[in-house]
Amino acid sequence: MKSTLIALCITLTAAFSAQAQTTLRIRGSDTLGAKLVPSLAEAFKKQGGKVSFDIAAEGSSTAFTNLAAGTAEIGMSSRKIKADERTLCRSKGIAINEIEIAWDMITVVVNKNNPITDLKKKHVMQIFAGDIKDWSELGGSPGPISVYTRNTSSGTYKDFMTMAMKGREYGSNSQKMAGNEQIVSEVSSNANGIGYVGYAYAGASGIKVVSIDGAFPNPAAVKSYVLARPTFLYTSGEPSGTIKEFIDFCRGAAGDAIISKTGFVPLSQMK
Amino acid sequence: MAPSESSSRPPLRSLIVRTRKRTVLGFDPQQIIKHFFGANASTAVIVLVLIMIFLVREGIDFLPTYRRELETYRKAGLELCDIADNPLKQQQDLTSVLRRAWAATTDPAAKEVLSDAEDTFDTAIEPAAEVLDELKELAKETKELAVEFHTLEEGRQQLLNAAAKTTDAAARADLLKEAEASKLEPVDFAERITPLLERRGELATKMHEYTVTLEEAVKAFPQNNVLVDQVRAAVPAHIAEIKAAAGRMQAWQWDKPVSIFSVIGAFFFGTEWITNSSWQDFYGFVPLLAGSVVIALIAVLIATPISVIAAIYTNQFATDREKELIKPVIEFIQAIPSVVLGFIGISLVGNLIKEVSEWGFLQWVPGFPIQERLNMFNAGCLLAFMAVPTMFSLSEDALNNVPRAYIDASDALGATKLQTVFRVIVPAGISGILSAILLGLGRVIGETMVVLLVAGNRIAIPDFSAGPGVIFQPAHTLTGIIAQELGEVSRGSSHWQALFMVGIVLFAISLLVNWCARAVARRFEPHKA
Repeated sequence: MKSTLIALCITLTAAFSAQAQTTLRIRGSDTLGAKLVPSLAEAFKKQGGKVSFDIAAEGSSTAFTNLAAGTAEIGMSSRKIKADERTLCRSKGIAINEIEIAWDMITVVVNKNNPITDLKKKHVMQIFAGDIKDWSELGGSPGPISVYTRNTSSGTYKDFMTMAMKGREYGSNSQKMAGNEQIVSEVSSNANGIGYVGYAYAGASGIKVVSIDGAFPNPAAVKSYVLARPTFLYTSGEPSGTIKEFIDFCRGAAGDAIISKTGFVPLSQMK
Repeated sequence: MAPSESSSRPPLRSLIVRTRKRTVLGFDPQQIIKHFFGANASTAVIVLVLIMIFLVREGIDFLPTYRRELETYRKAGLELCDIADNPLKQQQDLTSVLRRAWAATTDPAAKEVLSDAEDTFDTAIEPAAEVLDELKELAKETKELAVEFHTLEEGRQQLLNAAAKTTDAAARADLLKEAEASKLEPVDFAERITPLLERRGELATKMHEYTVTLEEAVKAFPQNNVLVDQVRAAVPAHIAEIKAAAGRMQAWQWDKPVSIFSVIGAFFFGTEWITNSSWQDFYGFVPLLAGSVVIALIAVLIATPISVIAAIYTNQFATDREKELIKPVIEFIQAIPSVVLGFIGISLVGNLIKEVSEWGFLQWVPGFPIQERLNMFNAGCLLAFMAVPTMFSLSEDALNNVPRAYIDASDALGATKLQTVFRVIVPAGISGILSAILLGLGRVIGETMVVLLVAGNRIAIPDFSAGPGVIFQPAHTLTGIIAQELGEVSRGSSHWQALFMVGIVLFAISLLVNWCARAVARRFEPHKA
């Protein structure tokens, strides 16, 4: 009887102390939310942060809808906020605050048996826009090019459009894959395939990274690679309290180590 | 006096019945049970109606929203740019063929000529492209302003509504202040469109110059090269189209209203489904429908013979032990989750089809060797597999329902077993078999997970000029697009509504197919003996 009572007391105290903890709700990008931010959150808790995390990664656009609705404390986005999203938040009375967290490099990959090793930036645009339809046009072995892209709600989809394609539409021959993994597996099985993935996936077997204008994606020289992009955390208003502690942690030395380990480039390496 | 007498002394029978009756809370228990069963049946109907109402409620606003977007598309001048842009884009196709011809040629002199021709093509279009790019820039700016104005205006209305509702004076003042802060001047389309209208003549001139250069360049093309001949044949049509576009540009009016019929047409007959675009989103239904229909046809074509023949065998020829094996095994297929089938499709069927297509002696098959593991044929095979249980069970039932007397009569006339089966039983059960096929079709059209994973997700109308080989192309489907895009669009946006419209149409197609199945079953009903 006594032991039951004690057990009950312990459970109740645990429940109450859990209640006392603050919960950070983080919403947004799949690129960041798949691995990077959860590992950061885990490490933050381990080093003594009295906080619990609730992370959902359903695409960069969801960061801003959640911030605007007040259902998230932090939004993560692999692209900069769009003008209409800022407007949406403003109309809800929320001033969006942007914090750069890490850099990502979009890596263009082809099948490992493809003789092509380097592409001009213009050619990348023409391939993904559907102007170049055959590898022989670029001096490769003849064969129609199969283009694999992310699906339309992905921030990477949009970023690639602005960075590599001057805002042009993807060609109608492009195939929209659900995630990086799927692109890797299709490109590795299709001798004429080409696609793009996050840098963390560049080492997968069966694919080959092509350099763009002679530059390979390289964490030591991010700025010289044309498809490098910053990724962001967004808060409503200036961060304070636990939110500020967490963000400072991410941008500190411990955060940097985790960022490099998950295939991103920490800001400290950018200087 | 008679009525009062009869009421005071009721007949014996009703007296007995009344004493037997018990009531629960004043209700007859038999009535309660009846209503309970009735309520369960009607729940299904009510839920179906609610689903319909929900779909329509979310989707119905699509037409006005899309109309507003298309109106902005026109007023901001994006439409004008596209009139010129679409034919100019064909130039890319032509140069692509030229580059391929260049790569295929070994003769250095011919290579030189082709490389020059490609250069001519590229430089000739540049002046027109430059003007067009400037116009596009202007149009896009106008559109962005219009969109911003609209978003802010909507937010402002919300704030004003909230202000009207609050009773707290301070909160109201705050809300009103915020609303005031988000006030913008409406976009003056008439003023902003003027430079575009003025410069369309310049663009037309540049486009004309381009066609002249092109005509000259074609004359210098080398002879006797299949790819070059292809370009040579395509150039006159390309030029004609550019000239037509110049004419259309002149006739184009920025303030012509967008009728609701053209919006309906743009959805149901639109050939482009482009979303999350930095230029303009289009919600055209045809590429998705085409993908769904082709995949469903492949599936039905494969599943029908298998399941009908299996049903005939099980029903007529199989021994009891065989029946005990075949039926549960086929019905078990239904228990396999579709996502599992999808993974089988990616990892197993896709590779299998690809490897088989590379075998030398099969090269006569149209479309072989195939390039994409994820294609409509792959999806069709898996969906056929999923449709077999439905088709098999229903066909088997149909054959079971053939009156015994038919079979006895046939036997009595001295028909062999095979004659009885194919001349009597199958014709008598044909209505049931047809409706089984239709219900299988309904199952296939509505299937989502397999097509999302396996069909290849290319949003384009399949290239039917490839002949039967078209089935090895990737495609996107009605169900797949909803699953892929609905999760991440913001609620109430035009994209969200467009996806609901697709859902409504999908629902209508399923209802139609099921109704057809019932109608067929009724139409050919055998006369009960």
